Amino acid sequence: MAQNNPDTYGKAIQAQLQSIVTPVPVYASFNRNFAIEPKFITWNLRNVHQPVFTGQNQNNKGIDRPTFQISIFTQLIEDGFTISNTILQSLHGYSGLFGGATYGFWIAKADVFWLYNSYNNEQKLAEIFLDCTLDIPT
Amino acid sequence: MPLPAKVLPGFSASLFMQPGATPTVLTNAALATVATVSALCITGNAVLVEAVPAFGQDDAVANFTVAGSRQSDKIPTQSAPTSLTITAAWNPSDTVLVQIRSDAYSGLIDRTYIVQATDGTGTIYYAFNARASQWQIDAQPGAEAKAVFTLHPRSGQYGWSNSA
Repeated sequence: MAQNNPDTYGKAIQAQLQSIVTPVPVYASFNRNFAIEPKFITWNLRNVHQPVFTGQNQNNKGIDRPTFQISIFTQLIEDGFTISNTILQSLHGYSGLFGGATYGFWIAKADVFWLYNSYNNEQKLAEIFLDCTLDIPT
Repeated sequence: MPLPAKVLPGFSASLFMQPGATPTVLTNAALATVATVSALCITGNAVLVEAVPAFGQDDAVANFTVAGSRQSDKIPTQSAPTSLTITAAWNPSDTVLVQIRSDAYSGLIDRTYIVQATDGTGTIYYAFNARASQWQIDAQPGAEAKAVFTLHPRSGQYGWSNSA
């Protein structure tokens, strides 16, 4: 049970989100240059971690349960809520190939937590944040 | 390689077992001989457990009243070696776990198990002969599925050795 590659996770998340919300653009992390677009999504991966177990064997580990945050930015507040629902309906409880044919891997479950909505007055963008945790067999 | 002379972290302990469907367990003398014990501690024999539980000896005591004395007397009696309830991440193809599953199904297979602890320089071994039972799969969501089983050591069949 070697540690999975975070680079693979990143590519799979990008591909999966892209397929869910297309034609809305998806980016890794926020960049102010995107802020001219009426709606777009960014994601940030965190908590890539397999629990480690006893002994000298480096491969003695548990499953990986990484979490990625999905940030939805829209000029119209309602657009953001609509997109967040599209993601919820598609991802929450999903089990199967995650990330498409090229970068995909099998996940046991995806757990989406709709966190909160907000408004950024400086960027003039409505925001909605969701957390998605993946259970990945290793 | 000397006996470790420092306090060991729990993460330094590994569990190994004899391979094969019908193993011949080590004798008491061999269980306390570092050469025979350490020869079994190879990667293919490693039981990938989450944590090695407490091992050693159970408590057993007889309480006697002593005529003419104000206090009674407690005498240690036949304490059994401690049973080890072990949790391992469940990989259905892991040959070692499959072997323990077969042992538990049989209930009659004696096998030598070894707890190995090291500080990176010195190594200490606790070897014992045991039978496996209580084979369970805990498949709760939210974490890896776990294989849980108990090793019941045979009476008096264990030994300590070190790499000194």
